[in-house]
Amino acid sequence: MKDFKILLLLDRLRWLFAKFGIDYPIMRKILQVKLLMDSRKAPAIIGQRNKKKQRNDSNQFIQSLWIYLIIGCFMIIFIVFGDHFLFQMSLYFGVLMFMVMMSVVSDFSTVLLDTRDKGMILTKPVNSRTLGLAKAIHVTIYMFYLTIAFSGPALIVSLFKHGFLFFILFIIELIFVNILIVVLTALLYMFVLRFFDGEKLKDVINYFQIMLSLGMAIGYQVLVRVFEFVDLEIVFNLSWWHYLIIPIWYGAAFEYVMNGMDRMYLMLTLFSIAVPILAIFYYLKLLPTFEHNLQKLSSVQIPKRKSTKSLFSRGGKWICQSREERIFYQFAHKMMKNEREFKLKVYPILGMSIVIPFIILFSFLRESNLSEITANNSYIIIYFSGLMIPTLVLMVQHSSNYKGAWIYKVAPLGDLSALKTGTLKAVLMNYVVPTMLFEGVLFTILYGGRIIPDLFAVLLAFSFLTVLCFQLFTPSLPFSEPMDTVQQSQGVKTFLSLILIVLLMGVHYLAIRLWDYGVYMYLIVLFFANALMWRKIN
Amino acid sequence: MNNVRKNYSGVDVLNGIDLEVYEGQIIGYIGPNGAGKSTTVKLMLGLIEDYSGSMEIFGRDIADGDISYKKRIGYVPEVVDIYDNLTAREYLTFIGELYGLDFQTADTRAFKMAECFGIKDVYDSRIASYSKGMKQKVMLISSMLHNPDLLFLDEPLSGLDANSVMVVKEIMSLLASQGKTIFYSSHIMDVVEKISDRIILINKGQIIADGTFSELQHSNKEGSLEQIFNQLTGFNEHKDIAMEFVSSFQEVHE
Repeated sequence: MKDFKILLLLDRLRWLFAKFGIDYPIMRKILQVKLLMDSRKAPAIIGQRNKKKQRNDSNQFIQSLWIYLIIGCFMIIFIVFGDHFLFQMSLYFGVLMFMVMMSVVSDFSTVLLDTRDKGMILTKPVNSRTLGLAKAIHVTIYMFYLTIAFSGPALIVSLFKHGFLFFILFIIELIFVNILIVVLTALLYMFVLRFFDGEKLKDVINYFQIMLSLGMAIGYQVLVRVFEFVDLEIVFNLSWWHYLIIPIWYGAAFEYVMNGMDRMYLMLTLFSIAVPILAIFYYLKLLPTFEHNLQKLSSVQIPKRKSTKSLFSRGGKWICQSREERIFYQFAHKMMKNEREFKLKVYPILGMSIVIPFIILFSFLRESNLSEITANNSYIIIYFSGLMIPTLVLMVQHSSNYKGAWIYKVAPLGDLSALKTGTLKAVLMNYVVPTMLFEGVLFTILYGGRIIPDLFAVLLAFSFLTVLCFQLFTPSLPFSEPMDTVQQSQGVKTFLSLILIVLLMGVHYLAIRLWDYGVYMYLIVLFFANALMWRKIN
Repeated sequence: MNNVRKNYSGVDVLNGIDLEVYEGQIIGYIGPNGAGKSTTVKLMLGLIEDYSGSMEIFGRDIADGDISYKKRIGYVPEVVDIYDNLTAREYLTFIGELYGLDFQTADTRAFKMAECFGIKDVYDSRIASYSKGMKQKVMLISSMLHNPDLLFLDEPLSGLDANSVMVVKEIMSLLASQGKTIFYSSHIMDVVEKISDRIILINKGQIIADGTFSELQHSNKEGSLEQIFNQLTGFNEHKDIAMEFVSSFQEVHE
C-alpha cells in the first residue's frame, strides 16, 4: 500500500504516543487507509462524466490549496511593514486561526463526528482512544498542509526580513496554533455531545456550528479593536480580558522574544504554548467518552408526525408550476432537512453569510456614526449574505446516500428539469428566503422603509444567482454524488461567485444612483433575467 | 474456550437474556425483525455500552476495559459497511493488521481465501465495483482472516449464489468440528434448521425457545422450523396480510 511521507514524519513522534497508551502501529495503519481513501474519489452512480478511469490517486484537497497560497502571499504585508510584532503577529494569527478553524468546522466536522468507523474498527481489537486520536491527527494533517500553503510565503519572507530566530519562533507557534485549533474544536464538540441527546443533539450541533462561525467573526472584530491608533502610533494597554483573545498570545510571543523580554508579555507567551499542551492532555483523557457519546448521533428516534401543511409546503404550491416540480421540491426539502452531513457542511457558511453584512456595517462605524451611514445607500452590503449561495448549490449535488439516485432514472419521468428546478426552489425557500427575511427586517429597522423595494430586488438577484451558480458549477444531478470526506475545496468557485455578487451589487448601485426609480428598472430587468434563466435549466 | 454468559435487563430492546454457549457449537440465533438479535451481537462486541447485567466472553467480563478478547472474535455485520474506495487487497490487509497479523501473512491468507471464493480476479479492484455477493465474500474473508475462536455472522449468506452458500455452510461445520463457536443469525429458516446444533429463538427482547431442532420440534409439535417460528412468535395471519397488501394497490381500479 502507498506510504505517505507525512506518516514517516509522524513516526518520529511514536515514543510520545506510546506514553499515552496509544497503539501507534494501529493508529498509523488507520491513518494510512484514511489518507489513501481521501485520495480516491468514489465513483458517481449516474451521469458518469469522466468516462476514463481516474487511476492516478490525487488528493483534491491538496490540489485546491493554491487559493490559500495566494491569500498567504497577501498576508506577507503583515510580516514586513514594521516591527510592532504584537500588533502585526496578533493580526496575522487572527486571520490564520479564522481560516483554519473555518476549514475544520465546515470541511472536517464530518471526520470528527464520523460514526461509521465505530462499527468497522472498534469491533476489532482497537481501543477507542487510538481511533479517536487517529481522527484528530487525520484532520491535523490537512490543517498542517493548509497552514504551510497559507504561511509558506510569510515564513520565507520573515527569514530574510527578521532573521533566523523569528523564523524558528514562527514555525513553533504555527505548530502550536494548529494543535490548539483542532483540539479546541474537538473539545467543543465533546462538550455539546455530552450535554445533549438524540434528535436535539443533531440540531444543536448545527446551531453550534453557526455560533462558532459567528464567534470567530466577532472575535476578529474584537481583536482589531484591542489596538488603538493614536496619531498613527499603535497603542496597546494590557488588561485582563486580553488573555481571552487567543491570537494575542501568539503576537505577544514575538513581541517578547524579538523586542526585549518585557515581563508583560511573558505570561501571554506561555499561554500560547501551555494551553495547547494542556488541551491535548484533556482531550486524550476525554476521548473514550467522546467516542462513546458519538453513538448518540447515529441513534434514530421516531419523530413526531407533524402536519405537512407547513408554510414551506404552501410556498411550494405557489412557486412550483408542475406536479413533478412540486414533488421534487418536497423531496429536496426533506433530504436537506434530514441529512446530517449536508447540514454539517452548510451551516457554518450560513452563519457567516448572516453576519458578514453586519461586520462590514461595523467597520463603517469606525469612520462615521450610525445616522450618517443609515442615511446613504450603504444597505447595498446586504448582497454579501449571498455568499452562502455557491456553497448551497454545490453541496446540493452531494448526499451520503448518493446511491439512491438510481430512482431518478427508474421513475417514469420525461426529463429531469423538474428535479433540478424543484431542488433549487427548495434551496431558496429553505435557506435564502429565511436569511433575507431576517436580514431584511434588521436592515429595515436601521435604514427605514425606503429600502423595501431594494430588498425585493436583492431577493430576485439571489434567485438569479442561484440558477447561475447551478448552471456554472453543478454538473451532476441533485443528491447524486458521494459526500467525500475531503471535498475539493470550494474556494475557487466561491471566489468566482463573489465576483458575480459584486457585479450584481454594482449594477444595483449604479441603477439607484443614476435614476430616481432605478431600483424599479433593476427589478424589471431581474424579473426577466430570472424568467429566462429558470427556463434554461434542462 | 470458556463459557459465554450474558444477562442483561432494563434496556428496552432486550429484556433479560440469559444464555450460556459452549465451544464447538453452531448456534442459530433467530427472531422477527426488531427482536434484538443485532443488538445482542453489538453488545458483545462492545459497540453499545449501556447495558445492565453482565457479559463474559472467554471467561472474562468484557466490561473490564481489556479489549484483547476481540482478537479472538470474527464479525460479519448485517449491513455491509465497508471502505469501498479500497481494493479487496487493501481492505483485507488493513483489517488483518488491525487484528494483529503482519501485512504479508494477511495478504497471503486473504489472497488464498479470495481464490477459493472465486474473486481473485477482482482482488485488486476497488470494492465499490463489486456485486453484493462479492462484497459479502470480502466480509466473510475479513471475519476469518485471523483464525478467530468465536464468529458472529449476521445474515452471512445474503447475496451469495447457491454454490457459494454450500461452500460457506461447509466452512461453518468444519470450523465447528474444530471447536470454534459460531453465532449465526438469519431469516432463512431451512438453512438455520439444517446447520445449527442449537437454535435460539428471540422475540421482543426475550428468549422464547432454546434447544436443538428436534427438541424444538418435540415441544411444539410442528413440522418445520418456519412453522415453529410462526407459532412461537404468535403469527398466523400471513394470508390475510397478503390479501390486504395486494388489495391496497389494486383498489384504485375499482
